[in-house]
Amino acid sequence: MATIQIRGLVKRFGPVTAVDGLSFDVTPGTVTGFLGPNGAGKTTTLRILLGLVTADAGTATIGGRRYRDLPEPLHEVGAVLEAAGFHPGRTARAQLRVQALAAEADPSRIDDVLDLAGLAGAADRRIGGFSLGMRQRLGLATALLADPEVLILDEPANGLDPEGVRWLRGLLRGFAAEGGTVLVSSHLLAEVAQTVDSVVIVDRGRLVAAGPVAELTAGGAGLEDAFFQLTKEGTR
Amino acid sequence: MTELVFPIAAPGARRGGFARLVRMEILKLTSTRLGYALLAVVAGLTPVWTSIEASRAGRPNGPAPLFTTTGQTEIIAGGVWSMIIAIVLGVTISSGEFRHHTATNTYLAAPDRNRVLAAKAVVGAVGGAACGLAGYATALAVGLAFTASDGYRLVIGAGTLADWGIGRVVGAALLGAIGVVAGSLVRSQLAAVIGVFGWTLLLESLIGGLFGSARPYLPYTAATALAGTPLGSANFGPARGISGVAPLPFAAAVAYLAAIALVGALIAARTTVRRDVT
Repeated sequence: MATIQIRGLVKRFGPVTAVDGLSFDVTPGTVTGFLGPNGAGKTTTLRILLGLVTADAGTATIGGRRYRDLPEPLHEVGAVLEAAGFHPGRTARAQLRVQALAAEADPSRIDDVLDLAGLAGAADRRIGGFSLGMRQRLGLATALLADPEVLILDEPANGLDPEGVRWLRGLLRGFAAEGGTVLVSSHLLAEVAQTVDSVVIVDRGRLVAAGPVAELTAGGAGLEDAFFQLTKEGTR
Repeated sequence: MTELVFPIAAPGARRGGFARLVRMEILKLTSTRLGYALLAVVAGLTPVWTSIEASRAGRPNGPAPLFTTTGQTEIIAGGVWSMIIAIVLGVTISSGEFRHHTATNTYLAAPDRNRVLAAKAVVGAVGGAACGLAGYATALAVGLAFTASDGYRLVIGAGTLADWGIGRVVGAALLGAIGVVAGSLVRSQLAAVIGVFGWTLLLESLIGGLFGSARPYLPYTAATALAGTPLGSANFGPARGISGVAPLPFAAAVAYLAAIALVGALIAARTTVRRDVT
């Protein structure tokens, strides 16, 4: 199973330093929450990790290799970065057929992941008519299609109803229990507290804290209190 | 909803490579309505245009009479809307990734962006060729129908008609690939599509009208010349009716258009294709 490793990552957009010397690890068999206020650099870090954004310095690897160097990336990493990233005129099934072709995944998996995501009844509907929650579910179905070892998810609970959030929690816990590596960014702290084993907290592009949730909350404070304390200290 | 289990995907030969990317792009194109809609536009617009022109043949300011070689040429090889639509199709194949924010998923599936661009250019060429074929078949059918209904005989040989058909398909294919490159460079679908119509219908006509010797080298004009369209039979503008300049030979025009696509692709690969996808 693959470890995610971030070392000395730096990314600037003009005068703005979005990621500033960030380093952390995400180990297999765990669900790791990637937390931080808006603009903390979470999405930029995930996009660098996935080869979509070029870092100015540092490395971001999965199993010791950059994403672009993975021989079969979809079989190794499943990612959901934006729920809107589907062609509105394509059906959910057609979207998964494209993904299955790209990954050379067994096409019989399409019905499996549609069912897993609770979209079996909407498989032949155009994505343009989907709610945000349905798009999130389709994103997760797409990510799981090629049976990857690593899941990288950016705000996957956005738009999900309570039943969907519960489903997502079970999905991530089940994935990690099978030995998978999960990195999930979120700003829903109460939800994260119920789902993750470890957290990486960033603020203004810098690492604020990293480690098991149990350690972070050892003083009796909840994750939410610990988060606000840490990010408040970061702004001083 | 099923049990939360994560079955290992059935092992199969993971054949990687460029052919897989091309198949993926074809599936993307054929799984939405846009490609079919553009083909329908070709099949609808070409007979309307060709019928209007054929009904004006022999009249003042119209095409030459239908019993002449010039008249039949202008009708069968003149309305080349399919070639403009071929460019639009190519533009939508590449710029659509940014319009619909699907570039993220595309590059996650295929991190080598230059190969993605190349695969899209191939699919743009295939789609362009389909537009060219549909346009030519329609124009030929309408032209032959008008010629026959007016009681004239066809004065153009079958070999020439076949050459025009081949030229229309090849020219539209090359324009489809150029459209993909243009869409990669511009990224904004609306701006790129407006640019296509502005360039083909206005700018080339304007440049061709002002600088006659440059006309064979204007890309859209070179492509239409492949299809047998005489220089001077532009759909609109100052270049319409101007003659006296020879088009590029077939092979030279093909090489010229392929070079434009290649140079554009190299520029895109060095610039816009490398940009961060945020």
